[in-house]
Amino acid sequence: MPGHRTKGFCASAAALALCVMLAGCGGSGESVGGGKVVLRYTWWGNPDRAERTEQAVALFEKQHPNIQVQTSFSAYEAYKQKLATQAAGGDAPDVMQLDYRQIDQYATGGVLLDLAEQKAVLRTEEIDAGLLATGRLDGTQYAIPQGRGTETVAYDVEAWKASGVPLPGKSWTWSEWADTMRALAKKTGKPGATDPGWSEDSFEVWLRGQGKSLYTKDGGLGFTADDLTRWWTFTDKLRREGVVSPAEQTTQLDGSVENTPLGRGEAMSDTNWDAPASGYLALIPSGVALAPMPSGADGTPGQYFKPSMFLGVGANTGHPKEAAQLVDFLINDQEAAKLLGATRGIPVNDSVREEIEPQLKDFDKTIAAYQASLEGTLKDPPQAPPSGDNALQTTFQRDYDQVSYERMSPREAAENYVTEAKAELRS
Amino acid sequence: MTTTTIPTKAQPATAAVPKRRPRRERQGPAWVFLSPWVLGATVLTLLPMAVSLYLSFTDYDLFNPPRWVGLRNYVQMFTEDPRYWRSVVTTVTYVVIAVPLQLALALVVALALKSMKRGKGFYRSAFYAPSLLGASMSIALVWRAIFNDGGTVDNLFGTGGWVNKPGWALLAVALLTVWQFGAPMVIFLAGLQQIPGELYEAAAVDGAGKWRQFLSVTVPMLSPVLFFNLVLQTIQAFQVFTPAFALSAGKGGPADSTLVYTHYLYDRGFVASHMGYASAMAWVLLIVIGAVTAVLFRTSRSWVFYASEGDR
Repeated sequence: MPGHRTKGFCASAAALALCVMLAGCGGSGESVGGGKVVLRYTWWGNPDRAERTEQAVALFEKQHPNIQVQTSFSAYEAYKQKLATQAAGGDAPDVMQLDYRQIDQYATGGVLLDLAEQKAVLRTEEIDAGLLATGRLDGTQYAIPQGRGTETVAYDVEAWKASGVPLPGKSWTWSEWADTMRALAKKTGKPGATDPGWSEDSFEVWLRGQGKSLYTKDGGLGFTADDLTRWWTFTDKLRREGVVSPAEQTTQLDGSVENTPLGRGEAMSDTNWDAPASGYLALIPSGVALAPMPSGADGTPGQYFKPSMFLGVGANTGHPKEAAQLVDFLINDQEAAKLLGATRGIPVNDSVREEIEPQLKDFDKTIAAYQASLEGTLKDPPQAPPSGDNALQTTFQRDYDQVSYERMSPREAAENYVTEAKAELRS
Repeated sequence: MTTTTIPTKAQPATAAVPKRRPRRERQGPAWVFLSPWVLGATVLTLLPMAVSLYLSFTDYDLFNPPRWVGLRNYVQMFTEDPRYWRSVVTTVTYVVIAVPLQLALALVVALALKSMKRGKGFYRSAFYAPSLLGASMSIALVWRAIFNDGGTVDNLFGTGGWVNKPGWALLAVALLTVWQFGAPMVIFLAGLQQIPGELYEAAAVDGAGKWRQFLSVTVPMLSPVLFFNLVLQTIQAFQVFTPAFALSAGKGGPADSTLVYTHYLYDRGFVASHMGYASAMAWVLLIVIGAVTAVLFRTSRSWVFYASEGDR
């Protein structure tokens, strides 16, 4: 008898364990402050951005004693997933920071409020019309761009000078860039740069330098497996020579400056967006400077000015007016701009920018000067990427991992990527 | 695992002589007492399962209503997704490494504890502690720090960071699981204490040494418990998520080497917003685990020894 008990118990325990697996989890909490309107405001960023944002939010709360703002932030990858889950559950934050890649999906999914409804408190007249339009979809303003950013090669000035290699000039081609990195690696014994092969953004710059684009006008793939094979062969060769970072470091990249080889003192430079580059200063106190991204062989620039991030208001918010007030404050208020500086890119409000630019401090000044040096030389930004691009960014890095760990040839990985991308964009 | 009959108010007279009554008569109160569980199981398990089955035949991005696509998710999974197959291989490798290692360690520790005279309770708790902590994210993060570049293992042995080496990262994940051997250990310990001492005495009289006693008495007598542990741990191992996710900082890397099935499922669902595809993956996993469990039950007939059958 006891034996049969054991077996029967075992069977039912096994069945139970199987069932528990498929049940999902969920839950959300909405808190109410004592008589105050409570707004949730979420963004992604680094501790530097968090500190400045908290200061600005505190000022907003002081100006609006009836409003309490609950903030939360995380790194981009985690933020993206959390926001998607919240939005799907109808629990999107009242005010949320959005990426260019998210606008399309969130707007069509009914997550975002039509901001024209709150015209009375949310002013947009002083924002460049072209830039403002990037937050519009089918004629509806779903989000307001918060800043303007572009990509850059950030480098450790002192270490570079010490190496004896001439500092980068106003422009360079990809092959000049590679030669410079070779020289740096030879002189210092450390890789000259982060391996750019992992980054879809860097690939786009390289592609545009040849007059191509990541996506076609109708949201299809704008390049072929051959193009990607050439890019990955180029970066793979540099990695094998020890000119760019090894696979063990490249695989850890997630957009945060702390995890870059430059931030860890393992390389001389990094390709990144200009706004987050201010985070390097905490890691490299001796100074970081910005050089333009390499261009195509004939000098065609690949980089472009991109709305660095947007602010949107949740369609289900209980307090649309107060949420819009917060957005207005973050974008149009002089005092807020002073606190925020260029942590989200150079301000978009024209009079705020004019007022602020001379007052910018430290690294923000560097970014402003860098952007000014590129003014008028860059080509128009591409249209907002299709929603599948969100997932493809991750796929891109995963497929390059296969190359940098030498598990696949650049050709194999590129063909994999193109297959995956086509399936992603089809649906 | 013996049965004791406790006289209850409901059957004072018949307690000693079990006699079957017509079934229907006693169902009402039973359902009342079961209702919290039935309610929970229906709302939190059965209903979501049914929805998930439906979604697996749709294209659903969380934002727009699901669109029926028939078997497309399943076809794409099996024929067009190389990363899916890589995650299958990774998961099977993990199961094959982690489960036997964990069970072996649990058994060895249980044997050692059984023969201990003093401090048994303390050590039992101490060895069980990792199982309580292990499911948490924080321990996985500590584990990542230990096995990362410049982490403890790297500094002590100069191995480099395991979590950034495709050949080693999965082993670090498996070790985290193996370390949580507390639950099977406690079950083994209970099983060991059920083995009658006379069997060992008889074996000793017949001249059997310790090893012989282990093989001829302990193993057969313990086989039902071993089987139970094997089934449960296998089911759990197929569903591994937290350690693999946390050790790779949410990437499943390097080079997909720790991208286990449930992590890829999570990615398809929550990163790529293909909830239909993710649901289809969940159902394939359910069916595969069910099949593996069935196979284990079938083979058990040849190696699991039930003492009661021996009496016949």
